[in-house]
Amino acid sequence: MTPFLDVDGLVVQYGQAVAVDGVSVSVAHGERVALIGPNGAGKSSLLNAVCGLVKPAAGRVRVDGRDLTGRKPGEIVRAGLTQVPEGRQVFPTLQVETNLLLGAYGREFRRELVSATLRYLGRRGEIAERLERVYSLMPRLSELRDRPAGQTSGGEQQMVAIGRALMAEPRLLAVDELSLGLGPLVVQSLTEFLFRLSDEEGVTLLLVEQNAALAFELCTRAYVLEAGRLVLAGSSEELRRNADVRSVYLGGPTVTDAELDR
Amino acid sequence: MTGRRPAIARSAALLAATVFAVWLGYWLGPGDRSLYTLMGLYAIVAIGLSLLMGFAGQISLGHGAFYAIGAYTAGILTVGLDPDDRLIDPEAGIDPALAVIAAPLVTGVVAALIGVPLLRLRGHYLAFATLALNLILLAALYAQSGFTGGDDPGLSVVEPLEVFGWRISDVTGGTPRHAAVTWVLVLVTLLVASNLVGSRAGRALREIASSERGAAAAGIHVSAYKLRVFVLSAGLAGLAGALYVFLFGFLSPEAFGVILSFQFVVMVAVGGPGSIYGAVVGAVAITWLEYELSDLGTRPSLLGVDVPDQAPQVFSLGVFAVILIVVMLFFPRGLVPALGHALRRLTPSRRAAES
Amino acid sequence: MTELLQLVVIGLSTGSAFALVGIGLVLVFRTTGIVNIAQGAFAVLGGLFMVALVDDLPGVVAGLVVVLIVGLVGSIVGFVAVGFRRRTTSVASLIITLGFALLISALSLLAFGDETHTYAAISAHAWELGGVLVQPQHVAVAGVTLASSVLLALGLQRTIAGQALVASGDSRRVAELVGIDPRAVAAIAFAVAAALAALGWVLMTPVDPVRWDSELRIVLNGFAAAAFGGLVSIRLAYLGGLTLGVAEQLVVGYGDAIPGIGDQARQYELAAALVIMLVLIGWRSRHEVHE
Repeated sequence: MTPFLDVDGLVVQYGQAVAVDGVSVSVAHGERVALIGPNGAGKSSLLNAVCGLVKPAAGRVRVDGRDLTGRKPGEIVRAGLTQVPEGRQVFPTLQVETNLLLGAYGREFRRELVSATLRYLGRRGEIAERLERVYSLMPRLSELRDRPAGQTSGGEQQMVAIGRALMAEPRLLAVDELSLGLGPLVVQSLTEFLFRLSDEEGVTLLLVEQNAALAFELCTRAYVLEAGRLVLAGSSEELRRNADVRSVYLGGPTVTDAELDR
Repeated sequence: MTGRRPAIARSAALLAATVFAVWLGYWLGPGDRSLYTLMGLYAIVAIGLSLLMGFAGQISLGHGAFYAIGAYTAGILTVGLDPDDRLIDPEAGIDPALAVIAAPLVTGVVAALIGVPLLRLRGHYLAFATLALNLILLAALYAQSGFTGGDDPGLSVVEPLEVFGWRISDVTGGTPRHAAVTWVLVLVTLLVASNLVGSRAGRALREIASSERGAAAAGIHVSAYKLRVFVLSAGLAGLAGALYVFLFGFLSPEAFGVILSFQFVVMVAVGGPGSIYGAVVGAVAITWLEYELSDLGTRPSLLGVDVPDQAPQVFSLGVFAVILIVVMLFFPRGLVPALGHALRRLTPSRRAAES
Repeated sequence: MTELLQLVVIGLSTGSAFALVGIGLVLVFRTTGIVNIAQGAFAVLGGLFMVALVDDLPGVVAGLVVVLIVGLVGSIVGFVAVGFRRRTTSVASLIITLGFALLISALSLLAFGDETHTYAAISAHAWELGGVLVQPQHVAVAGVTLASSVLLALGLQRTIAGQALVASGDSRRVAELVGIDPRAVAAIAFAVAAALAALGWVLMTPVDPVRWDSELRIVLNGFAAAAFGGLVSIRLAYLGGLTLGVAEQLVVGYGDAIPGIGDQARQYELAAALVIMLVLIGWRSRHEVHE
């Protein structure tokens, strides 16, 4: 069966600097896969190239069998892949509900604003239903719907970002650094939410994470990226037992706990 | 680059260039010579503006104002400050050579005064502010026509420029000596600028250009550096303006319109902001282009089509506009550096094999 | 007293025209981060195209056609000015808009020569209110500007398209990620801004004849109006434009009282606007956070 996401030999360069050096990953339907590695390993660059924010210098990105290498983000969203970006990027001056609705609006974007608006308006009913679904999945957002997104807490903003991504009805949800800057309880509840999303709604997950323990807990498979290259791959079980992985990513209380406590 | 060999090679190259530039002034015919001198004057301005735009990261859409201030300062000091005296007494003003020295100093002082509030502004605000100041200056030049001569009759400077009896200029047009002096000054400016670039101040400026906040965090006194580059670039423009006075011996605000300021920006854009040698190339290229376009526009017909009266202006405006757009889109670091890279890639060398 | 009121009335109308240019600048800056120097050129195109069409088409139709055409020109400028994702900085975009402004000037000079152009006002008959003459043209400009400002502000706040534009200004990268194309945003923002500027000058030209090089004066005034609101507030840009228009007229009217300017007051009309703008910019800039 063809994987939902198939990345083959991806190379991402910023000028002369090579951020991703020939990496291949694949994610099957309904899987939960993680991409772990230290800061600056190229994980976000890989994700940005997959999502169309950056044009790869070489390699292929196939989504559900279709070659979408180097296409615009809107096309990738329409193909069923949305990203929750690093740092809980919301539109701070806009209300929470508007943030969510824009997730659906962005999906209608092809070339220009006018037709996108018309398409969006034509689907008002559908989109309103979607919004209610998202509110039922994350009731806290329903309480916050009229508040400017910039005036919510870190964890709430992360929920807004996830909710916005969900409004585009993704089949694969890519989350970049879920745990960054959030307290352990919030991270835990978000992790549980993502698990339910995958388990009950069948959404495929691709998690880009510095926090390896979190990644192994949520995902069944993982890739390890270092300095732009794939160094290890396997099931979470295998990797957890791997000596190198343990010492670098799981060893010692410093790295992961400090991040969670921040 | 440290080490004595590159420095000696560079000095030798500059000396050779100086000799060539001076010789060119003598070799060219009188008509071309004026243009050649003007190229040199604009090159001086462009170097200063390139430092400002490239290193201090500041954008000035009104640099022609400093050129004008330099010109009018030198002109007025030469003919005499009091408009009434000028008519009676041909000796009213000061020695032209002193005027030429005073002009960049005055321009620098003006720049220092307005620079303090001005440089606090961010990119787009600064762009409009410099444009606004340019227009205000022009309005003053036209309006205070008693003092400046306005556009009618304008300011005539008949006295030639002399240094210790050595006559440099002649109001009939560009003289070889004027051209030589101008281009020697261009090369001196290049030396000064390249020393600045390589120095600690230059490194600080580069930091500022890439990120002001980062530079400030690193302990660099951002506003002091920006002001210094601003004043330097203004002074250079003022010097060029002062020399311009003695090229044709006549000043009118029309010669200093905002178009001139835009032309300077085009020169720096083409040459590459921050590239001082590129600025010289840009100045020469754009000045030459303007001349050719004006010439083209004065012909009665072109390719069988009648050429309208405004053609010279239309051509130069239009071409410069397109150059600006294309360069900003495709060669934001400058056309000259891009061509330089392309040439380097075409010529095989040991360094290419290494990379 | 009536002289003062007369100046105020004229100032409110010229100020409205500047306000239209200014709110266009605000729209573009808020949604794309670009300062559009070509706003003045769009206004001039509005006036000049109208000159070309007003003899062949009925006034209102000609006006609509002109506004649509200039809007289209604006969208092209916007599309190009956005440039390439990583390579084009907002200062570079600003210079690109400057390039377009110059290009439009050059073409205007070619097509229309260097005389000033104008056409008949809505009505030669002026109303008189308490000794003050009010031309229907002035009322038209003021009314259209007020309506446009309100509609634009509402449009940005209440429609999903407007919110998408604002979102793109908030965070271009995230908007892009969500699927909102920054080039499309720029195209429509510039188009609306251009249409507004053109509309202003379609109405203004009968009172204030236009020339190929009027654009500089217009964009500077428009920028001053926009600077009132820190380049981000439509409401303040509107008020700023009105204030600026009135201030300018007062300088022209009473300028001979200021020492040093004397009978050269006319020459200093623009200078007055510029000085006001500079003060505004300085004050506003202090409130903005450095990047």
